[in-house]
Amino acid sequence: MTRRDFIHKWLIYALGLMPVWVLDAYILPRYPLWGITPMLLPLSVAAVAVLEGAGSGTGFGMAVGLFWELAYPGGFGGQVFYLALAGMAMGAVSQYALSQSFLGCLICSAGVLGLLDCLRVVRLLFIKAANLSDLLQVAVPEFLWSLAWTPLVWLLFRAIYNRVGGTKLA
Amino acid sequence: MKDFFRQNGILLLVIAFLLSVLIGVLSFVMGGKADPLSNIVNAVTTPVRSGVAAAADWVEGVYGYVFRYGEMEAELKELRAKVGELEEQVRRNEEAGRENEQLRALLDLTARRRSFELEDVRVTARSASNWESTLTLSKGTSAGIEAGDCVITETGVLVGIVAETGVNWSTVSTIVNTDTEIGGIVTRTYSAGVLEGDFSLMNQGKLKLNYLPEGAQLVSGDEVLTSGRGDMFPSGLPVGQVEGVYTEPSGKTRYAVVTPSVKLDSLIEVFVIKDFEIAE
Repeated sequence: MTRRDFIHKWLIYALGLMPVWVLDAYILPRYPLWGITPMLLPLSVAAVAVLEGAGSGTGFGMAVGLFWELAYPGGFGGQVFYLALAGMAMGAVSQYALSQSFLGCLICSAGVLGLLDCLRVVRLLFIKAANLSDLLQVAVPEFLWSLAWTPLVWLLFRAIYNRVGGTKLA
Repeated sequence: MKDFFRQNGILLLVIAFLLSVLIGVLSFVMGGKADPLSNIVNAVTTPVRSGVAAAADWVEGVYGYVFRYGEMEAELKELRAKVGELEEQVRRNEEAGRENEQLRALLDLTARRRSFELEDVRVTARSASNWESTLTLSKGTSAGIEAGDCVITETGVLVGIVAETGVNWSTVSTIVNTDTEIGGIVTRTYSAGVLEGDFSLMNQGKLKLNYLPEGAQLVSGDEVLTSGRGDMFPSGLPVGQVEGVYTEPSGKTRYAVVTPSVKLDSLIEVFVIKDFEIAE
């Protein structure tokens, strides 16, 4: 794959991320379901990591994490490393243990969302911001409602992968 | 080139770690001001944010006109009746005001004064996280907005406090957010307390009035205003109504749950108090 093909491929993935970002940041927060808004950016990382593998998953995870930290309010830096690590782990798991299928993406998405919510709950418990039952009342619906968006995100990135993914441009 | 990512996964992870540390340090050092990277990203994405907000507001307006016409008509009738009541109240208050001025002049007291320097701004985005309650506004430091400024509605009801500012955007931590801590006072009893966001109440759109005096006899519906204690925020801004009074699990202190007067999910335009002067 030439440098030009490489840039072309990841530019298409970045363009694919745009509608997901607009939905995630500006449209869905206006219409929360029972007060809960889904998180779509980790699902994008899961989909691309499953389709493209560990190395690409790390890079895409890092880019999405950086974007999440900079474009969304209240960032403290942790998402960059977390999503890069998650991208690498999900890519490796899909390469060696699961398949590059929707089921693999669903399992990886559940993993990345579940761990993200667990980390938030542990952090808030540590600083005594609330008790466990209050935190779970947010974390569990958020996890389930976000996971429900996996098919849409998977279909979008699967379509991109079918056009420019892997070494198709090589 | 094709194996770049595959072979450099670990290197990317190290870069990601360093970036995380850099952003963490910058956000800590910059305080209420956005770090340069966030500033650039948010300035670039402002047109998208404003465009989406304008389109969504227009669609909601059309939807309301088409599908909620009857409801809007009933609301208009109700508001007209309310305007009539308020006009009557204003006439009475004008009389009381004149009498107050005369009495102050007789007693040689300084007149009470409230003057706000306001900046009108549009709400371009709402919190995308379920773990905090924030709003993104269409103006920032270029319009003189600073972290710590109060944000109110057109009727003067408190919306929140500016938490972070960029060149042409700013983020508001709403009154129900968990980091809220403002002096509050109940108008009927003059009981002072501290208005604080609470995680379990945040998603219900409510907040707490903590540290109530022992003898405070609050009832449901009591109005809560900002107390202005500490001179950080203006006094007398309406916050909401007391919903109920409860005792902390420790049994030592009581708190009131306050329902805000502002509807945070339907705000389109708000005002930032850039400067204020209050003479009591």
